Formats: sequence, structure tokens, C-alpha cells
Amino acid sequence: MTTISFPLAAGSRSRNRYVAGLRTWRGVTGLVLVGTVALAGLLAPWLTDADPDAQGPQALAAPSGDHPLGTDDIGRDLLSRVLHGILTDLSIILTAVPAGALIGAALALLAGTSRAADLVVQRLFDLVLSFPGLILGLAVTAILGPGRWPVVIIIALAEVPYFGRQLRAGVLVQREREYALAARVGGAGRARVLLRHVLPNAVDPLIVQGAVALSVGVFIEGALSFLGLGVRPPEPTLGSLISGSVAYLDTDPVLAAAPLAVTTALVLGFTLLAEALNRGARS
Amino acid sequence: MTELIDRPPLADRPPSPTAELLRVRELGVAFGERTVVRGVDFALAPGESLGIVGESGSGKSTTALALLRMLPAGGRITGGAVELDGQDLAGLPEEALRAVRGRRIAMIFQDPMSSLNPVLSVGRQLDEALRAHGGHRAKAERASRAVELLELVGVPKAASRLGDFPHQFSGGQRQRIMIALALAHDAQVLVADEPTTALDPTVQRQILRLLARINRERGTALVVISHDLGVIAETCSRLLVMRDGEVVEQGATARLLTVPQHAYTRSLLAAVPRLDAPSRAAGNSTPGAEPLLVVRGLAKAYGPRRRRSPALESVDLDLHPGETLGLVGESGSGKSTLARALVGAHAPDAGSISFAGRPLDGRRARREIQMVFQDPYASLNPRLTVGRIIAEPLIAHKVGDRAQRQARVAELLEQVGLEASAAARSPREFSGGQRQRIGIARALAPRPSVLVCDEPVSALDVSIQAQVIDLLARLQRELGLAVLFIAHDLAVVRQVSHRIAVLHRGRIVESGPADRVVTAPEHPYTAELLAAVPSLPTPTSGSLT
Repeated sequence: MTTISFPLAAGSRSRNRYVAGLRTWRGVTGLVLVGTVALAGLLAPWLTDADPDAQGPQALAAPSGDHPLGTDDIGRDLLSRVLHGILTDLSIILTAVPAGALIGAALALLAGTSRAADLVVQRLFDLVLSFPGLILGLAVTAILGPGRWPVVIIIALAEVPYFGRQLRAGVLVQREREYALAARVGGAGRARVLLRHVLPNAVDPLIVQGAVALSVGVFIEGALSFLGLGVRPPEPTLGSLISGSVAYLDTDPVLAAAPLAVTTALVLGFTLLAEALNRGARS
Repeated sequence: MTELIDRPPLADRPPSPTAELLRVRELGVAFGERTVVRGVDFALAPGESLGIVGESGSGKSTTALALLRMLPAGGRITGGAVELDGQDLAGLPEEALRAVRGRRIAMIFQDPMSSLNPVLSVGRQLDEALRAHGGHRAKAERASRAVELLELVGVPKAASRLGDFPHQFSGGQRQRIMIALALAHDAQVLVADEPTTALDPTVQRQILRLLARINRERGTALVVISHDLGVIAETCSRLLVMRDGEVVEQGATARLLTVPQHAYTRSLLAAVPRLDAPSRAAGNSTPGAEPLLVVRGLAKAYGPRRRRSPALESVDLDLHPGETLGLVGESGSGKSTLARALVGAHAPDAGSISFAGRPLDGRRARREIQMVFQDPYASLNPRLTVGRIIAEPLIAHKVGDRAQRQARVAELLEQVGLEASAAARSPREFSGGQRQRIGIARALAPRPSVLVCDEPVSALDVSIQAQVIDLLARLQRELGLAVLFIAHDLAVVRQVSHRIAVLHRGRIVESGPADRVVTAPEHPYTAELLAAVPSLPTPTSGSLT
């Protein structure tokens, strides 16, 4: 009997490609932007002593030692509000996006089980996508009222079809590959083939989709709060800070500039990350 | 139709000082840091035909692409020269090289299915090729030339087919159209990279004859790249053998194939299965008397309900224990559909399959009948380790506990000639032949009594092919397996099979002892298949030791 020896080769290649994507200027810039904003939010209690909701004697004060960014129209410390706003935003999108991804993925797998299920799931995605985002937001808040959880639900709901369609496409491709047939011939059941063989090979594109969804999540939160449909005041969010600053745009531009800069950095960072991951996957 | 197309004027270039049209000197090509072609040296005279053979990774296709500097991304010419009529193409600026591509050196590729643009009519594509080098001709004139070109390559009713799209032509016809496109400017050199690999043997023969005719009648010099020595032997007068990026031997085809000088050429020739060699199956095992697997009237159709296209019309088949039944047929004959029906991956529309005297149900089929796949790359899940891949059927059938399964995987790996330590590795660390061994180990895991092998060696190099065939023979000897060996290569099938069945348009048209079917075919279709096999000259005795 001949025994064949084999050369050593690199380990997990597909994961490395994403890491390589992050090592480009896009990836690094994205990581720095998101990392800085996230860190500022997480360290909010230590970076500032001011209570974000406590009203001070001075309204619309200019930046000073006590209030590095000044105060808002009812005398609350702006820096503290921005930092705590970041925390609220991050906690919302980091709950909503994974929830949307999980529901989308579960529906996509369900679609992979039979033709009838596929039809139902696809129409479900179409239904959600056929609503413009804001109408969907209005509909949900009309039922649940404004607040933190409705925002989470709206973001998750808006992301479900994107994750679902992406995974469904991957499942359809991988299911026809020979190794999936080999698993079936080997005696594996339908569920086992789908979960054990097809899913791990189809899940990669969702990483990129996740980064896109996070930036969209920041947007949606901002838009809802801007319209007064978001998190209830006085709790600060980036969207409600921008919304509250509009009236003073010509007299106190710093009121709008600070939350706008943070929102921009966050959206830009997530977008750059998504692009870096995507380019890495394609290279 | 010899001189349908006028030669381009020769005035714009000086007459060649030597009889050499194309001269390649010390050509080297690298991808990044890795050198894939080094020191390739050959000459091509006008009207000559040169074959380049080698196994995968030998650098034969890279050499061909480097002639026109059409290397894929990351590839670059590291040294040497490609001289066309004394002009070095390797150093030419891109712009000047474009004037050479298609006009003086033209290429045709392996896959006629994807080489033509599916949304443009064939006439339009020929028209574009004719306009490519700035020759200003009237539209009507171009159209008539397009018809001439199609007639030249043997597309019937050419004039009425200019408006047709690629999908309306068969694979063979599409390759003919590719050749017509390549001939649009009456190039002096035609480079064909594996021109018939994707085609059935009968179509392959037609295309090879067409290439030989163009070479003979029009004096177009031909460079044919192939892994198949038979293809080269049929078309080329001179032969160049490559291995690991280097030329190991070159010379006249007839001499090289009968009295090879280099050890590698000899081993390559020895590994090629020959149609005239008798079956060796009887030495492996003696089939049992009672059939193990009996198939009667099996039918299966695909497609929408109103327009079903039948893949299997009605198939009757017996497979005895310890027997290898070779199943041959061209693409579309229903081979793979039959294989999938047997392993229970598709439910047949009609007919019965019984196993050891009882009707076969899905559960038992999945235990007793296992399958080896064609593509050693696509058939192994890239996310699992080799050990896990082989253990999967055991887990699915709930055989043993973790430790027992591990022991069984190690045993299986040894059985197929791999080290037990391979279990911890990823399949992508293995070569094609090793992967096919892993696939075989997986198929053997639940201790099946029937192995369905769907083109198990057609994706492998000949030397690897021989190893895998030996492995299957040894396994049959040791385990008494019944094997359904599906392939399109008749020489391989004769070598491994006790009996051969010929599948044509969803029906078995002939079956019988392997040697008899090959030497005295009863059905005209079998005879046609046999005639299409490219033949190799027999090496003189003693030269293949």
C-alpha cells in the first residue's frame, strides 16, 4: 500500500481574507472611527461627571471649564448628553442588528426547506421591503407608541429582508454543490445537511451585511428621533440631540455640530468597515 | 472551400529571414514569487502543428497564454523572448500587441459554453471580430464573409443561422463558431488551449478533424495544448512534453510516442489507459451468481410539468456482488441521473430498484449504496476537517461512539492510502488525487456493498488516474464491493469493468462482457463511440519499462 504524504498549507483562508480586508486603509480608518466613538460612549461615566439629564442654571452657555461643549436650551451639559447618547445608540443598534440578522437567517433557512416555504418567506421579505422605511416606522410607533423598544423593533424589522435574501441566495448556491449531495447520500437528513453543511458555507457574506446594517441602524435611529418617534426624552440619543438643536442652528451651531460629527463618524466608520470586509472577501 | 478567404497583404512586414514563424526562447513566467514556467524553448514553422502535453500544473496553458501576454492577474513574463517573424512580442507595448492578437495569432479556449457572449447573435459576434482590426469594409461584405467563415468550420445552413444566439447551437457547434471567430483575420498561428476537453468523444473527433483540415488546407500553424496524448497524436506532427514548468522532451509525434527518450514521457505513456488492452477486472474478483442490485424500467424526467424532458427513458440493469459494471455514454445520456436515482438522491418517476431481492427503501439505500463523485474539489465540504467529512456518514447512521468513529476514520484513511494524521487537516491541503481518496474513504465509511462511482477519475491527471483505479481495484478485491463505474472514457472503463453497459438517450442500448463490447460491438452507437476514441500509436516493445 502506498502512503502519500502531503504538504503543509495555510489554515483557514476565508477568515484570513476578511482580516486582510481590515488591514487596508479603509479597514483601519473604519476601525479607528468606530472604535473612538464606541470607546467615548462606553467611558461616558468616567469622562464626565455631569448628569446628562440634570438641568443647570445656565441655558445655551458657551463652552467653558465646567461644560466643555456648553449647555443646551434647558441648561443640560452637552458633552455628557452626546457621550450618553452614543451609549444609547450603540445599545439600540447592537440589539437590533443581531436580532434582525438572526430572524432573517432563520427565515432564509426555512425557505431552504421546501418550495412552498420559500414562496411564503420571499413574499414576506417583499412585503417588508415594499414599505418605505419611515412608513414602517410610523406604523410600528402607531401601534406600540414611541420609545426605545419600538426603535429596536423597527431597525430589526427593516434589516430582516436584507439578511434573509443574502443568506437565501447563498443557501441556494451551496445546496447544489456536490458536497451537499454527498452528505445526503451519506445518510444525513434534510435539517442536518442544511445546518451542518450548507449554512457554514453560506454565512460569510452576512459579515459584510452586518456592517452595512449597523450604519443603517444609526441612520434609522436618528431619523426616528428627529421626527419625535424615537426614544422618549429626556434620555439622550444622537438623533434627538440633532433634532433639539435645529431651532438654534444660527445662534448656537455647536449644539448641532457635536452630535452631527459623532453620527457622521459612526456611519462613515461602519460603511468603511463594510467596504473593507467586502473587498477583502472578493480579493 | 479551400481558398475562401484571401490572405492579408504581406506588404507591411518584411519577409521572414528564416523558415521559423514563431520562435520562443528561454521563456520564463512567474506568478508573484512562484516560477511556473522556466526555460521553454521551441520553434514553429509556417503551416506546422505542435502539440504541448503535460499534467495539471505543468505550465502548458501558462506557456500558451504567455505567447500573447494574456496571463491572468499576477502573472508576468520574467525572461526570454517570443519572436513572431523576428519581432519580440514579450517586449512589445500593449497597444502594438493588440494588433497581433486575433490578427496574426488567434486563440481558442476550452469552454465553448462560456467563451461566446450569450446576448449577442453569432452573426454580430463574427461581425465584431471582422471589424476588430480596423479593416473598413461594407456591411454586406462583412456579412458574406461571416457566412464563409461559418461554412469553413462546417456549420450547416450558415447563411440562415447568423441571427441565432449561442444557446441555439450545440457544444460542438459553438466550438466551431469559436474557431470561425479565431480565423476571422486569417491568423498565421492558431493556439488551441484544451479545445475538446469539454466535448463528448464523437464531437471531439469532429473538432480535431476540423483543426487538422484548417492546418492542412489553409497552412495555419497550429499549437494545441492538451492533457490528452490521444488528442495531440491525432492532430499534431510535433510534440512537446512539459512537467513542472519545463520542457522535458520534444520531437516528432510519431517518434516520441513510439520510442520516448525521457523517463517522464515513458511513465506518462505507460499510464494512459489503452482501448486495446483487455479488461483486468477478472483478476480482482469473481462476480456472484445472484444479482445484488436489480433495476427495472427506471424512468426520470426533468423540467416543468407541461414540457418534461426525459433523462432516463427506461433502464434495466443488474449488478452482481463483486462485479464492476462499466456504464458509458455521452453527456445528456442520463448517466448522472441514474447514479442519483440509485443512491436515493432523486426519486424516479417510474420503475423499480431492488436490493438483495427486496425493494429498496431510502434508508437502506443510503447505507448499502454509497457514491464517489467526479469533482474532488466540490464534493468535500471545505468547512470540515477530513476526519469529520469521513465520519459524517457514521454520525448520520448513528454508528458507534466518538472514539469508535475516530478509530474507524483512521482505519479508512489507511485503507485508501493516506496517513491517519490526515484526519485533523482541512481538505484544501490535499491534491486532487488525495481528495478523491478522501471521497472514497467517506463512501466506504458505512460499510456499503455497492459503490456508485460517477466519473471518479475524469478530473484527474493520467498518472493519478491510474493510482485511483488501482485503489478501487484493491478495495474491490479486499471488500468484495459491487461497483457501478460511470465514465465517458472507454479505455478506462474496459480496463476496470467485468461488464459494460452503453447508455444512449436514457436507454441501455447494449450490455455485455467488457472485452466483447469493445472488440465486437453489436449496436451502431457503441461502434460510433469506439471509433471516436483518439488512438495512440503502440510503443515499441521494451520502450515503456
